[in-house]
Amino acid sequence: MAGDVHNKGVSWEVQQNGTLAPVDRLREDRSESPTPGLVEGTEPGAGQKSAMFVHSQSFEDLTADSEVSTETHPEGDCALGEAGEEALCLAAKEKIQIELQPEVEEEVRPESRSKEEDVGSEVWRSRRKHVFVLSEAGKPIYTRYGTEEALSSTMGVMMALVSVVEADKNIIRSIHADGYKVVFLRKSPLVLVGVSRTCQSDRQLSRELQYIYYQIVSLLTLTQLNHIFQHKQNYDLRRLLAGSEHLTDNLLRLLDRDPGLLLSAVTCLPLASSTRDIVSSSLQAAKAKNLVFSILLAGDRLVTLLRKKDQSLHHMDLHLLFNLVGSSSSFREGEGWTPICLPKFNTAGFFHAHISYLEPASDLCLILVSTDREDFFNLSDCKSRFLERLNRRNAYQALKEALKCPSYSTAQVGIPELRHFLYKSKSSGLYTSPELPLPYQSEEEQERLMGLYQHLHSRLHHSTRPLRSIYQCGETENLIAWVTSGFELYLCFSPLGTKAQAVAAVVKLLKWIRKEEDRLFVLNPLTY
Amino acid sequence: MSTRKASLKDKESKNGTSKYVLERCASVNEYFDIAFKVMLLGDSAVGKTCLLVRFKDGAFLGGNFIATVGIDFRNKVVTVDNVKVKLQIWDTAGQERFRSVTHAYYRDAQALLLLYDITSKSSFDNIRAWLTEIHEYAQKDVVIMLLGNKSDMAAERVIKREEGEKLAKEYGVPFMETSAKTGVNVELAFLAVAKDLKHRTAQQPNEPKFQIHDYIESQKQKSSCCGGNM
Repeated sequence: MAGDVHNKGVSWEVQQNGTLAPVDRLREDRSESPTPGLVEGTEPGAGQKSAMFVHSQSFEDLTADSEVSTETHPEGDCALGEAGEEALCLAAKEKIQIELQPEVEEEVRPESRSKEEDVGSEVWRSRRKHVFVLSEAGKPIYTRYGTEEALSSTMGVMMALVSVVEADKNIIRSIHADGYKVVFLRKSPLVLVGVSRTCQSDRQLSRELQYIYYQIVSLLTLTQLNHIFQHKQNYDLRRLLAGSEHLTDNLLRLLDRDPGLLLSAVTCLPLASSTRDIVSSSLQAAKAKNLVFSILLAGDRLVTLLRKKDQSLHHMDLHLLFNLVGSSSSFREGEGWTPICLPKFNTAGFFHAHISYLEPASDLCLILVSTDREDFFNLSDCKSRFLERLNRRNAYQALKEALKCPSYSTAQVGIPELRHFLYKSKSSGLYTSPELPLPYQSEEEQERLMGLYQHLHSRLHHSTRPLRSIYQCGETENLIAWVTSGFELYLCFSPLGTKAQAVAAVVKLLKWIRKEEDRLFVLNPLTY
Repeated sequence: MSTRKASLKDKESKNGTSKYVLERCASVNEYFDIAFKVMLLGDSAVGKTCLLVRFKDGAFLGGNFIATVGIDFRNKVVTVDNVKVKLQIWDTAGQERFRSVTHAYYRDAQALLLLYDITSKSSFDNIRAWLTEIHEYAQKDVVIMLLGNKSDMAAERVIKREEGEKLAKEYGVPFMETSAKTGVNVELAFLAVAKDLKHRTAQQPNEPKFQIHDYIESQKQKSSCCGGNM
C-alpha cells in the first residue's frame, strides 16, 4: 500500500504514436492453384482486404528490433568466435558475440549448487529450459523453477557477467558450454537469461526471452517500469508483479508447444464463412466510441477479430492476450475488467480489456479492448448487443455446433503418408494445422515434434544462410519445410515415405488448403 | 446494462441524489426490484474471490490460489424482506498494480466489504491504509463492513478477534469473522449489507433507521463456538 508507485506521473492513456497501419492490399484475382513462384497476398488463406495484423513479413521483422545479425554459429557449434567475425561485428554495431570459455561458465554453476536443496537439486538442474529475469541491480524478478530468493546470488553472477562484458563496450549474447546454451537479453531496466539444453538456436531462445519481456511490459507498461527503476534502482519488482507468475509460466509452456508463437501467427476455428461473416458483422455492429479491438476466441483459436480502422494488432500482443485469457479461470463466471498494455502497439500506455465468456461453460471468450478505463459498462453493453444480434441471426447455434469440432484430422487432406503439417499464410498472419495424430499426442512427443519444427524454422530463417526449402529424413519421421514470399509450410511424414512423395504431397496439400480456405481462415476481416 | 432496465419511479428526494432508484428489471434471467453495487477490497490472497464464490455458488475454491485479474464483475439476486435485491458485486484484485483501476470504480460502489486474513498480520495492518484510501475515493455515505476471513484456520491465527473488533470500533464500522471454506457468516455479511442498503432506499419517514450493528450482533456466529479460540 505504502509505495503506490504506479500512476504517479505515468500516463494511462494510449497515445496516438502507436498507430501501426498495415499496408493495404487489394486482392481481386486469387490464383486457382498455388505455384512455387507465388506472390504474397494471393496464397491460400490470404485476407481479401487489408491485413488484420501488423504486417510483419517474417520472423526477422519480429526480432529485428533487438537482434544484431551476428549469429553465425551453426547449431551445436561451440567454437569461439573467430577474429575475422569479431571484426565484422565490431564494424557493424560495435557489439560482438562473446563465446566464453567453458571454464568461465563453470564458475556460474557451483554457485547455484551451494544453494538450498531446492534449486541445487538434480531435478532443478536437469530442467530443459530455465528462464531468469533480473533487474540491472541484479535483483531476482522471476525464475521458471525454484524460488527467486534462493537464486539471488546466481542472478548476481549473471548480472556480473553482463556488466563485465559491458565494461569493455561489448554485449554478452550467449555462452555455449557442456551442451547448454546460456542466452542473455538486455532490455533495460531488465535483464533476461535463458539456460537451455534444447536444440533451439540462440535467436529462437532470445526471441522467447523477448516474449517474456513483453509479458512483463504488458502488465506494467515500459514507462512505469522505467519510472520505478529510475527512482529506486534496487526496487523489488516482484511486489508489483505479484500474482502474475502463472502468466509467465504459462507463456513459457505455450512457447514450448504452440506453433503459433513459433510462426508469429494465429490459428482460427474452422467455421463456415457465412457464419463467420455474421459473427464478424454482429461484432462490428456492437461498437463503442473508445473500442479499438473486439476479439472472439474459441479456446486458443480465433473466431474473428474486429479493429478500428487504420489500427492493427501485432500477433505478439494477441498472443499475450491469449495467454492472459488462457491462464486465468477467473473470467469464466463474471465479467473481467483489466488494464493491459499491448507492448507492440504502444509500450507507454494501458488499454482496458473487458473479458468474458459468452456462457460460463462455453469456450467462446470475448475480449473487448478500449482506451478508456471507465468504459466497463459501455463494453458490457456492447457484449449484450453482440449476443442479441448473434441470436437473432441464428449464428450462435451454428457457432456452438462448430465448437464441437474445433480441429480437423490430417486424414481429411487425403495424403496417406502425411502425419501433420503447419501452413502459415504470411499476408494474413494466420496459420492452420490439423490436430496432433497418435504418435505425437503425449506431452513429450508433442514437444519433440515442436522441436523438429523449431529446428527447420531456424534453418529457413537463418540470419546468414537462410534456406528456401529443406528435406530432412529421420528415424521416426521425415520432414519437409518450404518458405516462399507468400507462405511457410512444414510437413511431417511417416519415415517410410520418399522425397518424391513428399514433394507431390506439398502440391496436393496446397490445393486442399486453397479449397478449404474459406473455412480455415478469416478471409474477410472487418473494421469499425 | 442500465439501458435494459426501466426505472419505475424515482424515489422521492433522498439527499437529492438519484442513485438510490427503485428499479424493476425484466432482464432475461432474473427479476429484481433494486440493484446495488458492492465491492470486495483487501490485500491479495485474503480470500475475496473465495468469499464471493461461497456466497454466489455455495462452493469453496480449494486448491491453488488464482489471483483475480483486474476487476471481476458478478451479479446475485437476494431477497430481503420480500424485496428482490440485485447485488452487483465487484471482486477486485488485491495486487498493488491494479490499485489505479479499482480506484476508478470506488465511487460507484454503495457498499464495501473490506477483508483481511486472520492468519496474516500484514493484511490486517494494511486495513488502516485501505480505510484511508476508501475515505479518499469512495462516496461519503458508503456502507463499509470489516471482515476477518479464514476464521476456520484456528491453528494459524495471528490476529485475535478482539483486535478486529477494536479496529472496527475505532472506525465505526460493523465487523465479523468469516470463513469462505466453512461458510460461516458469509451469507450474513452480504445480506446485512443488502438489508442496510434496502432500508436506506425505501425508508419511510416514521420507520426507525436500520441498525446494521445490532442486526449483525444478533445474527452472527462466533467462530469460537465452532472453531475454538486461540
